[in-house]
Amino acid sequence: MAEDVYKPGNLLVSLKRHAAAIATGLRYLLSTKRMTVRYPEFVIDLGEGYRGMIRWHRDRCISCSLCAQICPAAAMKMYKLPGEKKMYPGINYQRCIFCGFCVDVCPVFALEHTPVHDISYEELDEMIYVPTKFDTEWVSPAAKEGARPVKVVFDEEVGLRHEPQ
Amino acid sequence: MTSPGSSELRGNPYFWYRLMGRDEEGYDVYELFIGPQHPASGHMRIIVRLDGDIIVDAEPDIGYVHRTMEKLAEGREYLKNIPLFERATIIDAANITWGYVRAVEQLLGLEAPPRAEYLRTLLAEINRIASHLYGFGIAGIMLNHSTMFMWAFGDREVWVQLAEDLTGARLTHSYIIPGGVRRNLPQDFKEKALKAIRYMEKRLQDYERIFVKNPVIIARYVDVGVIKAEEAKRLGIVGPNLRAAGVRYDARIAEEYGAYPELDFEIPTREEGDAMARLLVRIEEIKQSMSMIKQILDKIPDGPIFHEKYYRMLPPKLKEFVEQTGRLKLPGAFIRLKPEPGEAVARVEMGHGEVFYHIVSDGGIKPYRVRIVTPAFRNVVLYRYLTRGARFMDLPAIYGSIDYFPPEGDR
Ligand code: SF4
Ligand code: SF4
Repeated sequence: MAEDVYKPGNLLVSLKRHAAAIATGLRYLLSTKRMTVRYPEFVIDLGEGYRGMIRWHRDRCISCSLCAQICPAAAMKMYKLPGEKKMYPGINYQRCIFCGFCVDVCPVFALEHTPVHDISYEELDEMIYVPTKFDTEWVSPAAKEGARPVKVVFDEEVGLRHEPQ
Repeated sequence: MTSPGSSELRGNPYFWYRLMGRDEEGYDVYELFIGPQHPASGHMRIIVRLDGDIIVDAEPDIGYVHRTMEKLAEGREYLKNIPLFERATIIDAANITWGYVRAVEQLLGLEAPPRAEYLRTLLAEINRIASHLYGFGIAGIMLNHSTMFMWAFGDREVWVQLAEDLTGARLTHSYIIPGGVRRNLPQDFKEKALKAIRYMEKRLQDYERIFVKNPVIIARYVDVGVIKAEEAKRLGIVGPNLRAAGVRYDARIAEEYGAYPELDFEIPTREEGDAMARLLVRIEEIKQSMSMIKQILDKIPDGPIFHEKYYRMLPPKLKEFVEQTGRLKLPGAFIRLKPEPGEAVARVEMGHGEVFYHIVSDGGIKPYRVRIVTPAFRNVVLYRYLTRGARFMDLPAIYGSIDYFPPEGDR
């Protein structure tokens, strides 16, 4: 490709190339090939398998502490709840890097990734989930406000398309 | 270079010359500090000395994003270092961790099953394309070609999406682990990848029209920042920067790891060694990577994705889950991998060039020492050698064409 960029050009060749560059730019200006998602009116449905916010199920947990041991960011910690003998995991989202090792190592499926990824916090302390807070469903704030879910579709013309579901 | 006025300079007979704005030989030089606040590709500083419009000397001053990764690695279990090293080159996470995992596998005496090697190669090539597009976009904006920047970054999204489908994360995949990979190929992956490839092939033609063959870019890139084969070898340059100088060296061939021995691909090289050659080599590599992805998806063998030694430890219920979902579960024993005492080295070809790992194990659960030589660190010297005698306006062109990534150089 593009072998001839090294050949000495002349005015005519240059003009042609300028014209080709401008024409290409114009073509894209006129046709609307856009990949952008208008969040928060639309929100991408990331589907199963996406490593998003982590859901912990207290009823399944056997307190083996493997999740806290494998966590490379020291985000997962075992907590002692008042009045309980067993320790339970809590997570600190200031530290979590969403590597998913904890989910992979949990032997009883007590930890699961959810596709929710768009949570924001006003205070740092809110990012710490002690076991009592950790055992709740995640809801995407955009979806709660009525954002329409879109699906990512690969497309030969546009690259990525976002189809409403 | 020491900054003017530092204590060592006080005894220097040229100090007074410098104070008068003259260099050692008495020339008028102007010292210009570019950075360290993110001149373009990350935090670094280039100290440029100018004689009029001509660069007399340019000194890369790095270390602003140094995170003591090698030291941190000594305090973490082997598995936990994977997400750490990933953060050296976040845009090429699969390749940079693959080198580490290969070295750990040597220490553990493990080999990944063939299917896992193919999946690793698949993600590595997807990452290579994304990494080249990233560099391409940055090179574009450095020449003030913001269209190229937007396009390359937009098209990178397609490859990032593919990687997300495979691994569950956009950039920090932590996909390659000792003994295999963490996820199996999704059902519809091949179809998606082929669409992405066809899209990219079309786009590369548009890139050519709007950027590569654009007379403005030709004027800025051809014969700018020339390095020849001998000099490149002497300086220890790696990656596309080396191949653009005419040296056919690539760790994928030198080392024969992953699925590369079974794939049919070429190592693009050029003779010119200028900024344009470096750009063309990268574009050619994107095409080669796409051809490799097609071959991988055609030939990928069936079989396990994780080494039997650890897979065996999983209880039947977890095995069933892995079979059904294609998402690996890890046995508890995997947290504290304990290799034999010894040393291992491994190298891998990243988008930016060859990365080299040297691990020393004392038989404990944490490495005794990990040495990483990243391609960016080996290429940073180019700032000095490519810019001497160039015009100042060539500096952004040269900077962009090297594809230097500061967090990788600094570790
Ligand atoms: S996802 Fe990774 S960083 Fe986050 S809590 Fe789990 S193991 Fe720790
Ligand atoms: S690994 Fe699973 S079962 Fe064990 S403590 Fe963590 S959440 Fe509970």
